[in-house]
Amino acid sequence: MTFTNGLLHMTNWVGNVILPTLAGLFFAWAIWRFAQSESQIGFQLYGGLLCLMTSGLLRAMETFASQRPWNDPDVYWIALVTLVDWVGNVLMPIYAAVQVVAGALRMGLVTRIHHAEGWLKHFAAAGLCLLLSGVLRLAEFFVVNGTGGVT
Amino acid sequence: MAGNQERSDPSGCLPNPAGFTTISQSGNNKAMTPPQLLTDIIRVLLQLAPAGAVVSLVLAGLSLRRDGGPAAAIGGSFTKWMFWAALLSTAGPLLSWFSSFGIPTSVPSGGIGTSWLSSIQSDVSNFVTNFVVNRLVTTLAAYFVVRVILDAASGHSALPSILAAMFLLGTQATYTLIQSLNSGTQFATADVLDGLWNYLAGTLMPIAAGLAISGAVINFATRRPAMRLVGVALAMLCVSGIWKLVLAMEA
Repeated sequence: MTFTNGLLHMTNWVGNVILPTLAGLFFAWAIWRFAQSESQIGFQLYGGLLCLMTSGLLRAMETFASQRPWNDPDVYWIALVTLVDWVGNVLMPIYAAVQVVAGALRMGLVTRIHHAEGWLKHFAAAGLCLLLSGVLRLAEFFVVNGTGGVT
Repeated sequence: MAGNQERSDPSGCLPNPAGFTTISQSGNNKAMTPPQLLTDIIRVLLQLAPAGAVVSLVLAGLSLRRDGGPAAAIGGSFTKWMFWAALLSTAGPLLSWFSSFGIPTSVPSGGIGTSWLSSIQSDVSNFVTNFVVNRLVTTLAAYFVVRVILDAASGHSALPSILAAMFLLGTQATYTLIQSLNSGTQFATADVLDGLWNYLAGTLMPIAAGLAISGAVINFATRRPAMRLVGVALAMLCVSGIWKLVLAMEA
């Protein structure tokens, strides 16, 4: 028996056995909250999905952390940059599509019942998701041009 | 007049009694042989050092829980006992430093001549192997497994108790690892500590990154802070790079 084997098997057990099992619980939790008319079901819903993807997430983190050689002082910074790139350029466009669908559903189905529903928020969120890099560049532009101070 | 002659005697200020000769005068300046008992005590202590290292590892495992988990492991009493384990497992090579200081320290070789000292060494070694390592450590680990459940019931993190139980169960393997890192040179203690750091950074941390990701997922689903654990997982995969970064900042 070695400590390393214990740690490795515990990690595998948690990631490959326990979390996929808990995914069902999180989905049930999301449905229950939805039935209770609670709007914040995203955490349980996405949490259940993430539970099924733990190994993939770890592989993603390993890929981010191996963008530079192990002894490069910039390896952590590059890993963070790669994570931000992945979130901004891969996840956010997908989330934009989700928001467009949510906005369309709300506009097409719910607006007939109650016109004050926030379908516009979903479309705005989708636009911002797709404009994330541009928004960041815009903020950088403002900061760079503001270094001279107020004259 | 006779007193003046006695004072001019280079052998000292007191007169030599008749028939008395100093060691140097007689030419009998051989090195003193250490007593057998003293040599055997040194042999006993050196041969008990591995048992002491194993006991230190057990105490390190207990400290891992008492310190409060992996975050407190560095710099706490866990570190202290790991240091002692490394020191005791490299006691022989460490003594060779005295020779470089100019102090002749020949480690006595061979078996223990004094029978009762030999039996003490044998009894203590057997006690550590058969009682502490083979029986007591397993029982302590089992108690820590119960502690995991009690920790969870009281709303505390179960991880420190799990890690302590695993460390205790792996005591013998950890000692074997330390022995394999022992270079047998004057720098053996530092080599062991270096090797343990490399093992921590290169083997244990990437595995722990998986645990951190699992923790991040659970935290996200239960609406607790998750980004911290994502950053920690990345850092666990980049420990060597962060070390190089600190070195580069120091330069």
